[in-house]
Amino acid sequence: MSDEASPLRAHLALDGELDASQRLAFEEELRRSPELAAEFERLRALRRTIREHAPREAAPEALRARIEALAAPSPPRAAPPPARIPPRWPAMAAGLAVAAALAGYGAGRAGGGDPELAALVAGYQRAALSGQPIDVASSDRHTVKPWLTARAPLGALVLDLADDGFPLIGGRIDILDARPVPTLVYRRREHLISVAELPLASAGGGSATLDGYHVVRWRDRERAYVAISDLDADELQTFAADFVKRTPP
Amino acid sequence: MTTEAASREFRDVVLPHLDEGYRLAKWLSGSGADADDIVQEAAMRALAALEGATPLKPRAWWLAVVRNAALTWMGRNRPKALSFVADLDEDAAVDAPDPEAALISRDEGERVRRAIASLPSPLRETLVLREIEDLDYRAIAEATEAPIGTVMSRLARARAALAKRLGKDS
Repeated sequence: MSDEASPLRAHLALDGELDASQRLAFEEELRRSPELAAEFERLRALRRTIREHAPREAAPEALRARIEALAAPSPPRAAPPPARIPPRWPAMAAGLAVAAALAGYGAGRAGGGDPELAALVAGYQRAALSGQPIDVASSDRHTVKPWLTARAPLGALVLDLADDGFPLIGGRIDILDARPVPTLVYRRREHLISVAELPLASAGGGSATLDGYHVVRWRDRERAYVAISDLDADELQTFAADFVKRTPP
Repeated sequence: MTTEAASREFRDVVLPHLDEGYRLAKWLSGSGADADDIVQEAAMRALAALEGATPLKPRAWWLAVVRNAALTWMGRNRPKALSFVADLDEDAAVDAPDPEAALISRDEGERVRRAIASLPSPLRETLVLREIEDLDYRAIAEATEAPIGTVMSRLARARAALAKRLGKDS
């Protein structure tokens, strides 16, 4: 402020925004003018009150954990493993384009020795047996998506597959390695299909059978998906193909 | 897909200032639950924006992202509470009687919090960034996307209003 008589000069002085010569002029004026000195003292008292008493809370731990998870370094991206299309794919003539899409993101065989997969299947089992497969019940993806997004840092892709014969019935959060995993639940007749959405770092594609449940895995540019169901294997493949087909590019 | 570079920027720019972002969001929205949602949203935006970019002033930049996320969020979810655009009413609102003033709280912290919370948003955010987060005028101007002269006058008005409210029932 070059204007010495600025009505804001006491604020500027208080906020350390005066340069040395302005500060000098201000201090001289303070000595001459009791009004200015009183105003300056009032401002300083107000600052003390605010700084001593206004709440200064930290971000809640849960929020910090979610935000830190966002910043977690992605593991170095390995080149996609050579595409090995599971034997079932050729049988799905109509799904060829889809098969190509799946293979393009790297399909491999997910085995029974995969602890992550075992945990997800256990989650499916628990949810199905408890009669409580979903935490939020809705066939409207605009309801399910915000619910999941609010609870999992990476958000979720929620697709409506009712036209393909797989109505969405809701979603839930599974926990894997202490991380929330958004999980969609679809229905086919009396069968349930869970789709767990994982960070891309999670391994691979392909299909497997674990404890009598069929599993199909695939990935797109943003996430890895694990579909688990007691449906028969071919129908689950069809479900996966429909899901991929409806995934926005 | 988040690149390693963007993740690194995010850890350098956002994480050290997470508390400030949360506090600003809470002062703007008036609720911890809302602040949670706003900061989450802001963090996603920041991560996307840090792809191939390095802000020159990380703290002011991040607070601007939080502020913008708060504006969007409030517009969508709490349209009635939003008075950011009501610059014309700033003075009217300052002179209006404080509905909470009658509530005498023995707790000085609660009294100060209420007095700040009752300021119109443009004055409140300016005061909070200066007195609680200790930003200088230039950084406040950047974070609130306002000319520096506006920052100065808002700060003066915020202090005058606050002194009046705190003096009234002390």
